[in-house]
Amino acid sequence: MIISGHDLSKSYGNRRVLNQVSIDCAAGEICGLLGANGAGKTTLFKILFGLVTPDTGTVSINTNSNKKIGGIIEGPALYDYLNAYENLRIFGSIQGVDVSNSALQKCLSDVGLPLDRKDPVRNFSLGMKQRLGIAIALLNNPACLVLDEPFSGLDPLGVSALRKLIVDLAEQHQLAIILSSHIIEELSKICHTLYVIKDGKMVNKGPAQELITKNTTTYSICATNIETADSLKEYEVVFKGQCAHVSITADKVPELIHQLHQEKIYITSCTPELSMEKLFEINE
Amino acid sequence: MRIFLIALISLFCSSAFTQNADPDLISIKKRMDSIQQFSANLKLAVDISFINMPTKYATMNYTKGKPVQFASADFVMLPKRGLDFSLNRLLEYSYITVPRGEEIRRGKKHKAINIIPTDNRADFSIALVLIDVLNNRVAETEINTKKDGTYNLIMNYENNSKVLPSLVEVNFEIEKIKIPLNFMGKDTDIDRKKMKAEGKKTGKIYITVSNYVIKYI
Amino acid sequence: MKSLIKAEIYKLFRQSKTYYALASLFMIEAVILFSAYFQGKNILDILLENLKKSFYFEGSLLNGNLLVYLILNTLWFHLPLILMIIVSGTLTTEYKDRTIQTTLLQPVSKWKFITSKYIIAIGFTLLVVLFLAFTSFFLSYSLFGKGDLIVYLNTLNFFTAKDAFLRLQYAFVAGALSMVFFSVASLTIAVIFKEATKTWIISAFFLIFSNLLLKIDFGENIFNKIFFAKLNDTWQIFFNYTIDWSLVYTNASLLIGYILVFMGLGIYIFHKKDIG
Repeated sequence: MIISGHDLSKSYGNRRVLNQVSIDCAAGEICGLLGANGAGKTTLFKILFGLVTPDTGTVSINTNSNKKIGGIIEGPALYDYLNAYENLRIFGSIQGVDVSNSALQKCLSDVGLPLDRKDPVRNFSLGMKQRLGIAIALLNNPACLVLDEPFSGLDPLGVSALRKLIVDLAEQHQLAIILSSHIIEELSKICHTLYVIKDGKMVNKGPAQELITKNTTTYSICATNIETADSLKEYEVVFKGQCAHVSITADKVPELIHQLHQEKIYITSCTPELSMEKLFEINE
Repeated sequence: MRIFLIALISLFCSSAFTQNADPDLISIKKRMDSIQQFSANLKLAVDISFINMPTKYATMNYTKGKPVQFASADFVMLPKRGLDFSLNRLLEYSYITVPRGEEIRRGKKHKAINIIPTDNRADFSIALVLIDVLNNRVAETEINTKKDGTYNLIMNYENNSKVLPSLVEVNFEIEKIKIPLNFMGKDTDIDRKKMKAEGKKTGKIYITVSNYVIKYI
Repeated sequence: MKSLIKAEIYKLFRQSKTYYALASLFMIEAVILFSAYFQGKNILDILLENLKKSFYFEGSLLNGNLLVYLILNTLWFHLPLILMIIVSGTLTTEYKDRTIQTTLLQPVSKWKFITSKYIIAIGFTLLVVLFLAFTSFFLSYSLFGKGDLIVYLNTLNFFTAKDAFLRLQYAFVAGALSMVFFSVASLTIAVIFKEATKTWIISAFFLIFSNLLLKIDFGENIFNKIFFAKLNDTWQIFFNYTIDWSLVYTNASLLIGYILVFMGLGIYIFHKKDIG
């Protein structure tokens, strides 16, 4: 494990924000932290970064690099009155990294930012600011990257591009990456491991696909004349237009599709619907 | 160097009409009138309790019949009285002299004479002049001005033959300055009662005159 | 720490508000200069009224030296007000924009980060005072010339032009130390309150409070001598006829002590506090 947080707790006055939370992430692994707003995701990250001291518990980062951990908390925070190069230069110079023009150009191209923008960062879109934030986080080659709600506020194209960047960073640079979000679809596509946090407690964790499959109890199957299917009679079904929301476990789905095919009902899509209630039930 | 004129110290040569003026006084006056022109360096040292001023330097240029010229590189305060070495100001208008016997100053006897102007235009009411008869010059003058209080001038000379002084000590009355409470500078401790009680004070200014260059008629 | 200091200098001079502040200070100085000219006339008339009965005055006392002295009298209130806004802003802006988080996410030591801000605060303050000293001498002398300086401090003190120039320079140095004190205090206030408006209000209150305390006489006791508010008047000592150098050094040392205490307090609190 590159980064480990063990039994972390934090209270602010009478309010318990984190309760014995543990999280770890290995090199090349992308870990997702799923939780509603106010669940404790940001506080956990601040503790991992060392910005906030936990009441109990420890954080260990297993690396020899100068900069152990890089990341973004609550959105990218940049010097609005400086341009991308100048921001990189400021943050790079204070930690003694190479801030020559060629080095900065490499930083920008690594995150897919244009090299010819010399205007202040206040003119950048949110997606570009996120990328610049990641470029700054990557300065000095940290062993792990922690990103707090990186997809927040991005358009679909921006989300897609950022997702690709994160995957490339994990695969090519072998970074341990922890992401947080309150939207499962954003995490399910790229995370290897999923952690689910609710009211400051870790309620669920495991390999992402396994966890999703385990907690998916309904599939939305769409086909013409699906309402006439005999195979569906043994299941609990809600019909909406040309789709049937079927209460069924993942292992029985292939057989059902085969049966429908035999009835000459050709499905156009089969989408799992994750049960949030089940996912957020305590499963420790 | 700034050159300025003090028109009031116009050392005119003409003397006012008077009856039975003291002969020693007239003799000194004649001696003074023989000076056509002189220049000298002045060193001015102020000794007033509520004033701190460094020694100032100026040059003085007297030409008979013309206003006296002073020149100085910086700010100077010149006493209104005390630079009139020639007695001309006292004798400008008609006057009478009254002998007052003798007075001893610095262990020497001096002839004391009152000069009383008879013309209303004179700016003093009475003056007392102590004359060093032997050396034919003025040793001390006390002038009671009409508007500017009383002045006392003590002349010191380099040696017996000199008629122009090397050191003049001017004593005068001065009221302590009145200042409003809210004023520039530190908010000083202002004791109004004390200030009112103090009233008039005396001050001194020492004028050292040197490097005389004298041209006689 | 050198790289942190360089970064702070870079940030300070890349922000337009720094230049607005300098321009404002320069304009305030010019306004004070011209109002001082008219004020100076009245003051001189009052001061010299009685003396004029016995003396002729030659040479102008309403000169550049008097005007610089009058500038100094009001400068030590206006200047710290603006300085405190800029200096505290170097930290409160970082809190507001959360760049403080980004910075501390880099391998940068917390105490070094805040210390570099204090160093820049001190350096900037000294630079500003130097700028104002230079411009006030330049403007005053070129418009009103040099000459003797007259100052009333229980007695009427006259200083030759050369002596006055030297004393005025000493006064700027003493005043600079006071300004450093207020700048450091405002940064410490920013460490405690973090938010810009609150920090400005508390800093302004601190300045006004200090100025008010300056005028209260606490009597002949040690408090009157060592209380920080009283030390901000040290520059006036240079206009007593004889300069009490031991008092100057004592006051300066005490003020430096207060500066270090405020600075230490700010560094300690910042280091201990959680960020965010």
